[in-house]
Amino acid sequence: MSFLKSLCNLHIFIRFPLTSLDMYVGMMCTAKKCGIRFQPPAIILIYESEIKGKIRQRIMPVRNFSKFSDCTRAAEQLKNNPRHKSYLEQVSLRQLEKLFSFLRGYLSGQSLAETMEQIRQETTIDPEEDLNKLDDKELAKRKSIMDELFEKNQKKKDDPNFVYDIEVEFPQDDQLQSCGWDTESADEF
Amino acid sequence: MAEHRTKPSELDQGKCDADDNVKIICLGDSAVGKSKLMERFLMDGFQPQQLSTYALTLYKHTATVDGKTILVDFWDTAGQERFQSMHASYYHKAHACIMVFDVQRKVTYKNLSAWYTELREFRPEIPCLVVANKIDADINVTQKSFNFAKKFSLPLYFVSAADGTNVVKLFNDAIRLAVSYKQNSQDFMDEILQELENFNLEQEEEDVPDQEQSGSIETPSEEVASPHS
Ligand SMILES: Nc1nc2c(ncn2[C@@H]2O[C@H](COP(=O)(O)OP(=O)(O)OP(=O)(O)O)[C@@H](O)[C@H]2O)c(=O)[nH]1
Ligand SMILES: [Mg+2]
Repeated sequence: MSFLKSLCNLHIFIRFPLTSLDMYVGMMCTAKKCGIRFQPPAIILIYESEIKGKIRQRIMPVRNFSKFSDCTRAAEQLKNNPRHKSYLEQVSLRQLEKLFSFLRGYLSGQSLAETMEQIRQETTIDPEEDLNKLDDKELAKRKSIMDELFEKNQKKKDDPNFVYDIEVEFPQDDQLQSCGWDTESADEF
Repeated sequence: MAEHRTKPSELDQGKCDADDNVKIICLGDSAVGKSKLMERFLMDGFQPQQLSTYALTLYKHTATVDGKTILVDFWDTAGQERFQSMHASYYHKAHACIMVFDVQRKVTYKNLSAWYTELREFRPEIPCLVVANKIDADINVTQKSFNFAKKFSLPLYFVSAADGTNVVKLFNDAIRLAVSYKQNSQDFMDEILQELENFNLEQEEEDVPDQEQSGSIETPSEEVASPHS
């Protein structure tokens, strides 16, 4: 353990002289890839610094994370960490959360396939689930999953070709195929 | 009894300036996109008033219909079951209803019948607009038929709060329908009042509950909505 610790320190120590320069460059860096290393745990960012057009790697050690930790909180903490903040601007909270989920799975002894399945469940909406019955926290989780598509498809007000009133006609005539959600029986729709 | 009202000045101010005011409720299951639709329609021009932790968000909006200024109260309700006890107050004196489902989740479509039944218990006649939201997620649904709307002869809108398709049209139609419902039912009320007057009956009771109950959201149990107001 002390070996790992000193390795971490060494690591930071080596990079330290570069950090102040990196900070400046960081504002204009382009994230290429972001991954997780299990042993010793670290989030690794591959990015391009615009000034030199050079590909760099930034290793952000993960501390105090166990199989019981909350991935959302860990992701938030890392994203708000003053040392890493500017580098992680382009990396979404969701992506970081997912990386921490991989780590959590690893720490609880799950196989990669099991962890992937768990992540899939946590990041997709079960269309059968009755969301009316959930508590606030669970509902908020589902909504944040939905937000991903919402934000992708959203036309924002500050978009140069934003149009406030968009009207498209979708006539409901008799030739249409049924949505498949209506029951055949006469009483039900 | 006027002193019991919480925010009389603001409300009355609006009422004086506007030719008319209507209440429109937005209903449907949790996470179908009711709040996103409201926000897309109102953009920046809203000051929501959130009541009792997410159960209800009130938006005030001014619209112009046929040259008249209309003050619209939008009631954006929450679909969660734990707010069931508030429903009576949602329906109370509403003039139109926007009923939303999520085209990606069948349960929300199936639940329309429960929402609709409840709506009709409280408000047998108000216009109801059925909304298929999130068409951006699957545009093919716009080529399909949805019998719920047909069965009850309700207008159906294919919309997306995300990309904005048909959102403004939906709300403008809802406002129009609310205004025309109110005017017609008002005429109807006036006629009845006229008749009552002919019989030399006092019409005193008519106005009092009207004013009083407009702010009493926390005590829906007291409120028994009349079919017309
Ligand atoms: N793709 C897509 N997603 C949407 C659209 N509208 C809403 N959403 C997503 O659905 C989620 C829930 O939307 P809300 O507006 O909070 O739903 P609501 O009906 O107000 O839910 P309650 O207040 O809980 O009853 C949002 O977080 C969005 O991510 C849409 O038009 N398209
Ligand atoms: Mg809402």
